[in-house]
Amino acid sequence: MAQRILVLFALAAALASCTHRSRTPLNSIAYSLKSNVKSLDPAQAGDEYVNEVVPNIVEGLLQYHYLKRPLEVIPQLADGMPKVSKDGLTHTFKIKKGVRFQDSEVFPDGKGREVVAADFIYSWKRIADTRTKSDGFWIFDGKIKGINEWRDKLAKGTGKFEDPIEGLVAPDDHTLIVKLNKPYFQLYYVLTQAYAGVIPHEAVEKYGAEFLNHPVGTGPYKLDHWIRGNKVILSRNPNWHGETYPTEGEKGDLEAGLLADAGKPLPFVDQLIFYEIPEDQPRWLTMMKGAVDFSDLPKDNYDGAVEKDAKTLKPQLVKKGIRLFIAPNADIVYISMNQEDPILGKNVNLRRALALAYNTVPSLEKFYNNRGIVAQSPIPPGLDGYDPNFKNPWKEFNLEKAKEYLAKAGYPGGKGLPPIEYSTTSSSTSNQMAEYLEQQFAPLGIKIVVVANSWPQFTDRIRTKKSQIFGIAWRVDYPDPQNMFQLLYGPNSSPGPNNSNFNNPEFNKLYEESLTLPPGPARTKIYQKLRDIFVDQLPWIPTVHRLDYRILHSWVKNYKHNPIMHGDYKYMRVDVDNKREMKEKL
Amino acid sequence: MKGKSLWSDARSRLRRDPIGMISFVVICGYLLVALLCATHLGFKGYNVVDNSIAYQEPSVVHWFGTDIFGRDVFDRAAHGTITSLTVGFFGAGLSVLIGTILGAVAGYFGGFADELITWFYTTIDTIPYILLVVAFSFVMGPSLTTLCLAIGLTSWIRHCRVVRAEFLKQRERDYVQAAAALGSGNLRRIFVHILPNTFHLILINFTLGFISAVKSEVILTYLGLGVKPGTPSWGAMISDARLELSRDVWWGLAAATIFMFFLVLAFTLFNDALRDALDPKLKSR
Amino acid sequence: MGKYIFRRVLYMIPILFGVTLVTFLLFNVAGGDPAAQAAGRYATPAQIQAMRVEMGLDKPMVVQYLNMVKQIFTLDWGRSWSSKQQISILIKEGVGPSLSLTIPAFILTLLISIPLALVMAYKRNSIFDKSLLVSCLALISISSVFYVLAGQYFISYKLGWFPIWGWDPTWEGRWDYVALPLLIMVILSIGGDILFFRTVFLEEMYQDYVRTARSKGLPERRVLFKHVLKNALIPIITLVVLEIPFLILGSLLLESYFGIPGLGNLIYRAIQESDFPVIKAMTIMSAVLYIVLQLVTDVLYALVDPKVRFE
Repeated sequence: MAQRILVLFALAAALASCTHRSRTPLNSIAYSLKSNVKSLDPAQAGDEYVNEVVPNIVEGLLQYHYLKRPLEVIPQLADGMPKVSKDGLTHTFKIKKGVRFQDSEVFPDGKGREVVAADFIYSWKRIADTRTKSDGFWIFDGKIKGINEWRDKLAKGTGKFEDPIEGLVAPDDHTLIVKLNKPYFQLYYVLTQAYAGVIPHEAVEKYGAEFLNHPVGTGPYKLDHWIRGNKVILSRNPNWHGETYPTEGEKGDLEAGLLADAGKPLPFVDQLIFYEIPEDQPRWLTMMKGAVDFSDLPKDNYDGAVEKDAKTLKPQLVKKGIRLFIAPNADIVYISMNQEDPILGKNVNLRRALALAYNTVPSLEKFYNNRGIVAQSPIPPGLDGYDPNFKNPWKEFNLEKAKEYLAKAGYPGGKGLPPIEYSTTSSSTSNQMAEYLEQQFAPLGIKIVVVANSWPQFTDRIRTKKSQIFGIAWRVDYPDPQNMFQLLYGPNSSPGPNNSNFNNPEFNKLYEESLTLPPGPARTKIYQKLRDIFVDQLPWIPTVHRLDYRILHSWVKNYKHNPIMHGDYKYMRVDVDNKREMKEKL
Repeated sequence: MKGKSLWSDARSRLRRDPIGMISFVVICGYLLVALLCATHLGFKGYNVVDNSIAYQEPSVVHWFGTDIFGRDVFDRAAHGTITSLTVGFFGAGLSVLIGTILGAVAGYFGGFADELITWFYTTIDTIPYILLVVAFSFVMGPSLTTLCLAIGLTSWIRHCRVVRAEFLKQRERDYVQAAAALGSGNLRRIFVHILPNTFHLILINFTLGFISAVKSEVILTYLGLGVKPGTPSWGAMISDARLELSRDVWWGLAAATIFMFFLVLAFTLFNDALRDALDPKLKSR
Repeated sequence: MGKYIFRRVLYMIPILFGVTLVTFLLFNVAGGDPAAQAAGRYATPAQIQAMRVEMGLDKPMVVQYLNMVKQIFTLDWGRSWSSKQQISILIKEGVGPSLSLTIPAFILTLLISIPLALVMAYKRNSIFDKSLLVSCLALISISSVFYVLAGQYFISYKLGWFPIWGWDPTWEGRWDYVALPLLIMVILSIGGDILFFRTVFLEEMYQDYVRTARSKGLPERRVLFKHVLKNALIPIITLVVLEIPFLILGSLLLESYFGIPGLGNLIYRAIQESDFPVIKAMTIMSAVLYIVLQLVTDVLYALVDPKVRFE
């Protein structure tokens, strides 16, 4: 009897597996996200997973050119680049005519209406409105004339949403004038971000707090449906104003086949599918089986995928037709030391000792598979002020010197130093990194106490300045080192992004000066001065500048992603025949 | 007295039970391993870091290969015994302690005390175990102590019910009435007379709780609520397989699973043997 | 009968009160500062304080507790801290997938383990019994995490028999994705279940009335099915029924690892993200379900066995 049941069960299982085939259309791109998508509201685009999906639905005035490097800002919904006044304080944007929002039930007859300049003012006001609880206000904070006053009045209840903002004027439907308080050289960069995207007020009025589930924009794709905790599906927006594939790029693009579709209308792919797969194993395995079209390369699967030269894929992947794509990441991973901590904050020699004792090279290999370089300073490769020959004297791995400085700090042999608390999140990888840190400082006689938390608890401890040291990373929002240095600017201390609470008067003054200068040699000189102050005071132990590795299946064409860019799925094309053929074999 | 003869009777029955004896020996073996690890007399490779031999396959030198930091996996699994035995002992111990006290009070005194305690454990029982443990772990922060406390504070109900039923049954018995007639106060009656008659239940539920605690440690560690990183534990080794398995590193998972397997199996079989020895009517085999 | 039901309902009330009280104490104490969470990452202390007032956290504990109770009655679970989604919608969406996994697993486990346990008890100490006994003992000595990780890796990936991950919301499509998690869930439960049921059957078989029946000359089979099974089913059913309310929680491990968007997955994510409103909502919901189901069971028992009504 038992045997009969088992046989029946096995039959049922076999039956189920026979019928298991993919139901997603071939002309689609599927990508797996490392975390769940929380919201589709552009106001929440600080979350990198929200930021992966939303820019395909919502567009803004400007975008980055897909192929040109270094990254260049070009118009998206703006009609040409804006006219700038002589003093750099007034930027006049012309809006493209005939751009319509996607069709949606929020509009009277379901048909998307034309976008006008007032829509941009509405969308940006919404970011500035404290009730929206967006973490994107920093892009306008203190920069646009009158916006801070408007925001404060609204929060206090003495102002209304409809009240005008002096620095945002729409003299007619297709003109937007932005007036600044002082020169803002990163303005165009921030206007490419999803925070600055345009959405119709009808959608927010209709959906209220549910807007995060019903995004409406002008983008090439619209939300098809969302199975929370599983996947988000976007499908082609028939109303899209249209764009064509770029006709020029940088050197090497032609040979790489990236100009094969020059001039052709976008988008090529009918559907975008974003799977929410936080666990490494299923994310990797689904990629290997072709259930997703491209993916990241988890650190534990790296050795099985890439040869020692860090550039070539191993044969078993090459056989499947998989390609490797490496992009510079313009980021930094660092160990932050709380400057307001009584032990670490006042004692620069202690910080130097810790830095000298931390051997970055094995951690680069172990946790990043050598996909990156040892970081010397906050300025990552590719950005103004980066000097490949610059060496941070404290980044030299030297245990003897470390012990010397530890003694100078007043704790010879670690005596008298209470255990230092290392705050971390509780994933398997974070745990391993914490163990590594403990091992690094042990020879100095320094004891580390690891406190593992969930991500919200972790950020909470940082915000309330309770953490002593912790590991964290930052990728620039745009290609300007200012975005790194703002992490060290005194007034940005917790609860702001300056999580080490570094507050050096000389640094602060130089930083403020750098904001007034356009990109150029004078500014670069200041960036290097800022770097030098950082190195001398060492609020962080910089560890790694990472590279972004992606693996793609053979049928994915036109891939040239840069981590700062978003909404570039419209350029990708799928060779449907190749996909059909290859998937059988995988 | 009834108590003594039950025990000597049980002991001789247990001795004649080969499976029971073998499992007892195995459990002692684990205790020995834990002792050797704790005193650093054995399995010393567990924290010998050597990054050049990270993730090596099992070999003659390293029976279960090495982990991410080049440490011997077999030795780490051996050290995991300490964590599991600690969690098992203190977790089950605490739960049995609380269950006994509350069950005794409820069963013996009856009336309002009984109503209150019954209400209390019915309430806790209604809340899903995993959510209760999660809430505790959040308040106290993940650590070995938290794990023991969380498991102990949430799994006492079963035992409490059993002890309560036993006390309800026993308090009307002749020998208790006799003790009362002779002037024994309540406390004396509880501790000296009735409680010894529940020791067999305590023992059985302790071993059951031990098994459950060891298995809970794995799941809680997987959820990020386990011991501090760096402390060797079977839960950590099994959870790390999340990263390791898809790169064909199976030896961490295997070592921890095998170590846990024999401990849990031994306790399960020993529990059965105890049951048989203490109450031959309940022949479970 | 009506009086009995009334008494049972009355008994439910202090338990419900206890559950909400424990939940409130646990989660509002353990929960950290919800205002800080809700106010956003770079919120200033002033903004957090404003948030606190908005969420009613500045009111005394008793008032907050009563507010919570009111919310429960109106089924307003609030919004998730991490995603700002309405929790009642998240729950509604998660029930289907979870039950698609747990109900078939539950039924299948029972269908396999009860007959097997009965046969094992009947043929106790035979090769059949002993080998299955050993297998069950082995099954329960292995951690569930092992089954999940290894199952996906070896069966889905290496052997390719099932999809690795994912979900199809259509009724026909979902069974593909449920198949392997279902298989694993059954394997996780049958070991313990078979051992337990077998013990119950054996205990029953050693009762005096069985010996009497046998001495009366009744055939073994009749003894087994007519008497032992029927009587043993009572404790079995009691225990089995108590597991039903927890079916709705799905499986934290299986759902998160296989991408099934059920309540188990919801809870798992909530744990990772310290999302207390979600955990609180799930706790109370399952507790209430448990209480209600107990009530239903008690009433059914009373219908079947009139003696129960008078205790």
